[in-house]
Amino acid sequence: MLKPKHILLASHGTPGARAAERAAFALCGPKATLHHLIVVPDFWKGMMGDDWLNNASTRDTYGRYVEGELENEVRRHIASLQRQAAKHRIRYRPEVVFGKPEQCLRERIARGRVDLVVLGAPRPKGKSGLRSYMVTEKLLRALHVPALIVPYPA
Amino acid sequence: MIYTKKTPWTLILGIIMVAYAYMVQAGIMEPVIKYLHTSKLAGEMVILGYTCGIIAILAGLVQAFSTPKQGNFDYYLSTIGGLAFILIVAFIVKWVLDPQMSAWGKAAQPALGFNFASVMNLNYVVMGIVAGIIVVNVFKVPHWAENGVRMSRLGLKTGVVLLGVLYSWEELRNLAGLSVVLIGFFVLGSVGITLWMGARRNIPNSMGGVLSAGLGVCGVSASVAAAPVVNAKSTEIAYTIGTILLWGVMCMFLFPIVGKAMGMNYTQFGAWAGTGILNSAQVAGAALAFQPTGIETLKVAEIFNITRILFLPIIVLWLAVWFVKREQTGERVNLGQVMFAKFPVFVLGFILMFLLGSTGVFAPAQHYQGKYFDNSEKAMVKTDKDGKVTDKRLKDADAEKLKAEADKLQREDQKAALARLIQEKKVMSPDHDTLVRGIVNSKVLSKEASDILKKQHEAVYHTAKKIAMFRDIIAWMFTFGLTGLGMQITMASIKQAGGQPLVIGSVVGTLKAVGSLIVVMLFVSEIV
Repeated sequence: MLKPKHILLASHGTPGARAAERAAFALCGPKATLHHLIVVPDFWKGMMGDDWLNNASTRDTYGRYVEGELENEVRRHIASLQRQAAKHRIRYRPEVVFGKPEQCLRERIARGRVDLVVLGAPRPKGKSGLRSYMVTEKLLRALHVPALIVPYPA
Repeated sequence: MIYTKKTPWTLILGIIMVAYAYMVQAGIMEPVIKYLHTSKLAGEMVILGYTCGIIAILAGLVQAFSTPKQGNFDYYLSTIGGLAFILIVAFIVKWVLDPQMSAWGKAAQPALGFNFASVMNLNYVVMGIVAGIIVVNVFKVPHWAENGVRMSRLGLKTGVVLLGVLYSWEELRNLAGLSVVLIGFFVLGSVGITLWMGARRNIPNSMGGVLSAGLGVCGVSASVAAAPVVNAKSTEIAYTIGTILLWGVMCMFLFPIVGKAMGMNYTQFGAWAGTGILNSAQVAGAALAFQPTGIETLKVAEIFNITRILFLPIIVLWLAVWFVKREQTGERVNLGQVMFAKFPVFVLGFILMFLLGSTGVFAPAQHYQGKYFDNSEKAMVKTDKDGKVTDKRLKDADAEKLKAEADKLQREDQKAALARLIQEKKVMSPDHDTLVRGIVNSKVLSKEASDILKKQHEAVYHTAKKIAMFRDIIAWMFTFGLTGLGMQITMASIKQAGGQPLVIGSVVGTLKAVGSLIVVMLFVSEIV
């Protein structure tokens, strides 16, 4: 049976990822460290679309507003997990990155010691949510550590 | 922050442009030009190749050998590579892909039974946007080109500003009245329907606010302006912008196909595209796709576009007040500040150019649609370098054909106008021309006779050289701007279309497109 010391929880705010968070806490033993990789998907870069008629100040205001919103969401997310980690006496190490979720995860696994990766399953068809997938065939082929994919909550 | 990146690419792109211009000038490209039937474009190939190439080379040298300091110069220097990158893509599309696609369309016509390039409007404007979309989604915009690609919107704004020169008072008066009524009705109607549907489907006020601005006014730009005012959540923004981009791109392809299938004239199509397409960036694309060889449709569409852009600050302000009344988190807004910050300043440039144009600086003051009346012998009879004389006055044989059909006319004023034309061998005044065009529009005469009359109209109306130059510059500004905007439409953002915004957006988008089509077909029939 696996007794991971370093669990990497990868999430970017979807309901599937929240299910993975619960599973990761359940798997953490007393001396385990929970590394939390939060990916802000890079599709946000294209979220000004083909806006052409606003002036620079309106675009700046919008850019700062979206950045602020994303930052607040991430901050709330980390704070919530930090509280749970403290309650379970688990070492919690959050890390926020911007990019393609699957690519960021591969890079994180390659960079540091990880015994187990915990991920949420992709959103089933018909469920609403942002389209930014972390569990891809490319990721599964590249994994060299065990991975637990937690089912999407019913 | 230093924006300029050390890259050899600006220099390389500049060298490619200059080398191409030289090869065209020296005749090395002659076989290719002959094969593609682009000899008419050789002039612009040389001028644009040299001008843009030299600028890119100079900027490339500065980028390579200087150490930039923080400031405006550094930022603008960092954009030159991206601007050159867009231009290269636009050159390839306009000078190679466009003529090649047209040749393929004709070649495949016997087998397919229709010209696919013409039916699907695969001209340089549509292909420029598609090329931009392919570049950003398949190959990615290079790092060194990102700032320049973002600057491409200036191309569109400059195009709109310069477009002001081409309107006459008469045109603007006719179009402005029509556009205020149509846009007013559809903007307020779609904002109202969105908010009503949102309330029925229990969506948050913040989502209703950002969605109604996007669907009602001018698409992505309105959502960008409204999102911070109504405290939209990140997912609400993503859903809304994804939905609008999806609709915008779809409409840009579908509108010209439907417009042609329904036999719409330039005014009808311009009015429909300017009202019915959700995203304002695609209005110019659809108008140029419908009429790639002229800008009459673009002129109509852009008046409608400008009218709805002028609604933007008003709607944003109204949404801000609406949101504050409903939500405790809403912050009180300063009305003057919102109006000032959201006002599209470039519209003032358009008005300024229009006023300049109407003083007669660019074309004789009595010009109409950029053309002026002149029936003097100097204008009608021309001798070229080889001594060949071209006489545009009515030929005797044509006069006989018109005489033979004169009895078909019922109206006395038209009979008199035709008799005068036959007697004088040319159109004698703008009023006389109006009557002659009236005969053509009444479709009483045979096609052959109507063609003779059309030729006589064209013989006395001349395009001022400066106006012709403006037309070319405007067409290039829009081509450049739309290719660059294509590079900002990512599939990743379109894929975010979903949730309630997709449902409401689909209903409102369809109602707006179909509703404006019906209204335009019923009430807009005249060519302005």
